[in-house]
Amino acid sequence: MMEKFKEWYEKRHDYAQEWKNKTGGKVVGYFCTYVPEEILYAAGVLPVRILGSHEPQDVTEPHIFGMYCPFCRDCLAQGLKGKYDYLDGIMIAQSCLHIRQTYTSWKIHKPVDFSYYLPMPNNVQSKRSLPYLKGELEVFKKAVEEWTGKTITDDDLNKGIEIMNTSRALTRKLYDLRKESNPPLSGLEAMYAVVASQMVDKKDYNETLQELLEKLPRRQLENSSKIRLMILGSEDDDTEFVEMVESLGAIFVVDDHCTGSRYFWNEVSSNGNPLEAIAARYVERVPCPSKDWPERTRIEHIKKLAQDWKVQGAVVIQQKFCDPHELDIPAIIKSLKEEGIPAQFLEFDVTVPIGQFKTRVEAFLEMLGEEDLY
Amino acid sequence: MEKEYWRWPESRWTAPDIDWKSGDIISAGVDVGSVSSQAVVMVDGQLFCYSNIRTGSDSPESAQKAMDKALEETGSTLKDVHYTVGTGYGRVNVPFADRAITEIACHARGANFMYGPSIRTILDMGGQDCKAIHCDNKGKVTNFLMNDKCAAGTGRGMEVFADLLSIPIEEMGSLSFKVEEEPEPVSSTCVVFAKSEAVGLLRKGWPKEKVLAAYSSAMAHRVVELLERIGIEKEFAVTGGIAKNEGVVKRIEAELSIKALEPQHDTQIAGALGGALFAKALVEKQRGLR
Repeated sequence: MMEKFKEWYEKRHDYAQEWKNKTGGKVVGYFCTYVPEEILYAAGVLPVRILGSHEPQDVTEPHIFGMYCPFCRDCLAQGLKGKYDYLDGIMIAQSCLHIRQTYTSWKIHKPVDFSYYLPMPNNVQSKRSLPYLKGELEVFKKAVEEWTGKTITDDDLNKGIEIMNTSRALTRKLYDLRKESNPPLSGLEAMYAVVASQMVDKKDYNETLQELLEKLPRRQLENSSKIRLMILGSEDDDTEFVEMVESLGAIFVVDDHCTGSRYFWNEVSSNGNPLEAIAARYVERVPCPSKDWPERTRIEHIKKLAQDWKVQGAVVIQQKFCDPHELDIPAIIKSLKEEGIPAQFLEFDVTVPIGQFKTRVEAFLEMLGEEDLY
Repeated sequence: MEKEYWRWPESRWTAPDIDWKSGDIISAGVDVGSVSSQAVVMVDGQLFCYSNIRTGSDSPESAQKAMDKALEETGSTLKDVHYTVGTGYGRVNVPFADRAITEIACHARGANFMYGPSIRTILDMGGQDCKAIHCDNKGKVTNFLMNDKCAAGTGRGMEVFADLLSIPIEEMGSLSFKVEEEPEPVSSTCVVFAKSEAVGLLRKGWPKEKVLAAYSSAMAHRVVELLERIGIEKEFAVTGGIAKNEGVVKRIEAELSIKALEPQHDTQIAGALGGALFAKALVEKQRGLR
């Protein structure tokens, strides 16, 4: 029923190339979910998120530090190996230095028509960040106009907002179904869907998901006796890991990842000046930990997710060497514990040590399990 | 052939006063670790016999060998065992096991039996990994931490040092205290880095006891970090092969200012013992007794 998303995920490059052939349009690869896709959609450009392949590689060593996170190295490897040669442009919005290095190195070694660094403010809790970002979005819009040779009107922007918002609302409905005591989809399927949404034209994604949402509530799976888990942390599209955990009698019902719920959680409110509305959405969205200070607002959000999705345990997983996440994780684990939710902490590398992770996850599930062998 | 300093003695044991034939439930646990394998057989929840052997390259074969050795001269065979739980990193490769349970759950359960229900913190120092486990009075895990993919602070590291320093592994603990003054720990516990650091110290003219002291205290320091992350609650015990090395254990105790409980049995059998106890509970479940 949900195979389409998996197919898009696995054949992301074929999809983008076919899209180009079909539409004659331009494709921009982006590195961080603070990139305002609304403006790219308004210009008729297809934004695709650049992600890694989870395969060992030996091409990034001369270009990026070994102690930078595995995700940013894996992404750069995709560029250097020519997997994304069809891209017409690349862009990033300021989040962390590791992924910015990926962008910079990519730009040097794989020059493209259009490359753009959007200085998304880090201190989103400051009142001055909204007018600042609005100004930067104006500059960005102009750059896109110059590149494409096409003026972006307010009407175009509103259409860009609409397609993004529709996609967000639909994905939220998909997540809401996971609240049920017998969720009609697995965490793996949800991951394929939400990650695929970052790889394909939202028009295709929205249509497919809309159809699916009509059928899904009637789908009967045997998920009611499984241990309900939440997964949270840094970038994560590690389907192998999710599949392994879900083969052990658990089900992921919700997440807090930038590849998952953080990507689509907040919508753009559609009144007023469109650029200002877009800016407000990115300033106010559930933040990446690199922007979640001085106050840690994300913790309350995570606690609410755990409560609403009736979570029994949490897998806290981060990319190795991801400092922003590392800084937040002890506080998150402590707060979850206070809510009676035990957490298991793991660290991602390009490939995960699936055997050792399996032992830890199994032991964690045995700990959460009700079985009385004592 | 050169002397194999790392080689630790395999062992087996049988309870002198248990008649297995009159037992209701014969349960077993087999722990196939990365370095050693153990089999424990219990009769009605009483420790009946056990073995402790080196793991070979083939997990199913090691499991079989451990079981054969445990049952040797007891008059009983595998056919007499009602239920077997496999555990350890080779837990799914125990051909005669009825079920697999992780070594983390099994170690806690086994330690609860070995040290009594007051045990709360268990440090399992295994062949290739190291775990800090918290459990309740029934031996159920309440929290745990495991080291990352690295053999630092583990049995394999000690084996490498036995060979490097030409000291039989069983003597390493006591020899590590034959120093006038406790040296600074080596700066790395990574087996490879620590080994090259040790070679450097030997060249500098350090006696091997002093190098050993420096390595043992680095190893102790590393696991203390793991324990501090999880928090230490009394009572505390060390299981696994390194538990037999007083050079490491006493240094851990000194850093923590807490004494580890004295083991009554081979500290390497904790996992297999926990497996055998779970196996008993599972038989009782099958028979409708639980």
